[in-house]
Amino acid sequence: MSGPAQERRTPSWARQVMAVVRKDLLVEFRTRERVASMGAFGVLVGVLFHYAIDPVAVRPQDVASGILWMTVLFAGILGVGRTFHLEDGDGAMSGLLHSPVALDALYVGKLIANVVLLWLIVALILVTFAAFFRVGLGPHPWAVIGILALGSFGFVALTTLFSAVSARTSMGESLLPVLVFPLLVPVIIFGVSATSRLMVARPLSEVAGNVRMLGAFALLAVAAGVTLFRFVVEE
Amino acid sequence: MSFGKLRYAAPALAGLGALGVLWLHWLVFFWVPTEASMGVVQRIFYIHVPSAWVAFFAFGIVAITGIMYLWLEDDRLDAAGVAAAEGGMVFTTAVLITGPLWGKIAWGTFWTWEPRLTLTLLLWFIYLGYFLVRRATDNPRQAKKFAAVVGIVGAADIPLIHISVAWLRSLHPQPVVMKPEGPTLDPHMLETLMVGLGSFTLLFLGLFVSRYLVEIAERKVALDERTAEAGATP
Repeated sequence: MSGPAQERRTPSWARQVMAVVRKDLLVEFRTRERVASMGAFGVLVGVLFHYAIDPVAVRPQDVASGILWMTVLFAGILGVGRTFHLEDGDGAMSGLLHSPVALDALYVGKLIANVVLLWLIVALILVTFAAFFRVGLGPHPWAVIGILALGSFGFVALTTLFSAVSARTSMGESLLPVLVFPLLVPVIIFGVSATSRLMVARPLSEVAGNVRMLGAFALLAVAAGVTLFRFVVEE
Repeated sequence: MSFGKLRYAAPALAGLGALGVLWLHWLVFFWVPTEASMGVVQRIFYIHVPSAWVAFFAFGIVAITGIMYLWLEDDRLDAAGVAAAEGGMVFTTAVLITGPLWGKIAWGTFWTWEPRLTLTLLLWFIYLGYFLVRRATDNPRQAKKFAAVVGIVGAADIPLIHISVAWLRSLHPQPVVMKPEGPTLDPHMLETLMVGLGSFTLLFLGLFVSRYLVEIAERKVALDERTAEAGATP
């Protein structure tokens, strides 16, 4: 190749990330596969939980926060676990690996696309739970939403890395929960206790420590993803 | 150390460790005084605590060999990781058996969501994931990298898991040795515990080195077989 092709420089890191985000979201927008399965899953779990909780024995509001997080977690595993199935056919994955996109940019792009999708699903699950269980978010609704957003970000950061692992094994998605659930315990503990407290109108100061720990988890997960992703996808 | 020297070191370490464990049992049954509030059942502590130490020590080896494997891609590092993980899983299982046995009498229940017990259970599952990823791919190089990643992320996450499971008040006996104002354990009990820690560590190191040598030998045999097959086919 000569002339213009040689002069064309490798796009900046941020542009590489945005290219991956755009590609993944565009594919999702056209197929709606993952959003449809995660969304339907979230709503259906709400329906099942309605019947799984006997209101005589326990008030739905008392367990809503935990069930909310578990629903987000399961729906997220379902969708994030399929991150690398977008590139299943026609050698798309090796195409992606041979493109000038840096591997850490590929990870960050996949992560951002997954976070966007999961946040949509979190919003849908929140609306569903509010309608089904008449669960209020307490006096600080934005704090509850922020904590859910932060927790699900850390969750997606870790799960995106491990979905690259599970997608390349013969066990596929059935391996993913075994790998990530033990590691996700901090997200569940700090997330559930923070949102439960805010939902029963405890002061914001009481959950500051939880938020810091969720932030620490998210940082750790992103750092692990950015540094280790290359070793997972390299041929 | 060369391969040949390791061959002698392995049984020596394991033998010393096994003798130490025998001595430990003599101390536990006949020598150490009975703890005042918990009674005889407290004696399981001398097996429980050294097992827990080895379980986490082994995971440290898994993580370090994982980092070094990703960096250097030396097959021996991966073999060492497997050897440490197998030993670690055995001792983690020992913790999970001795803990509830003691808990049933001391706490009146086999299982409580006590932070250290929970952390050990999660450690067991992280080890399980380490072995599952290895088996779930046909590409051996990929399997080693996946396992290394599981070990590294697991080790980085363990402190966070510990803080999170300790969030709720703990039932577990508080530390009696490693604390700022010095050990408050009875000297006889401390000595028995030290014998336990030392002999379990030696036993683990012996098993670790033996398992490492077996792993290396297995890989060599598999490689030789493949080379022979490749040579035999016209």
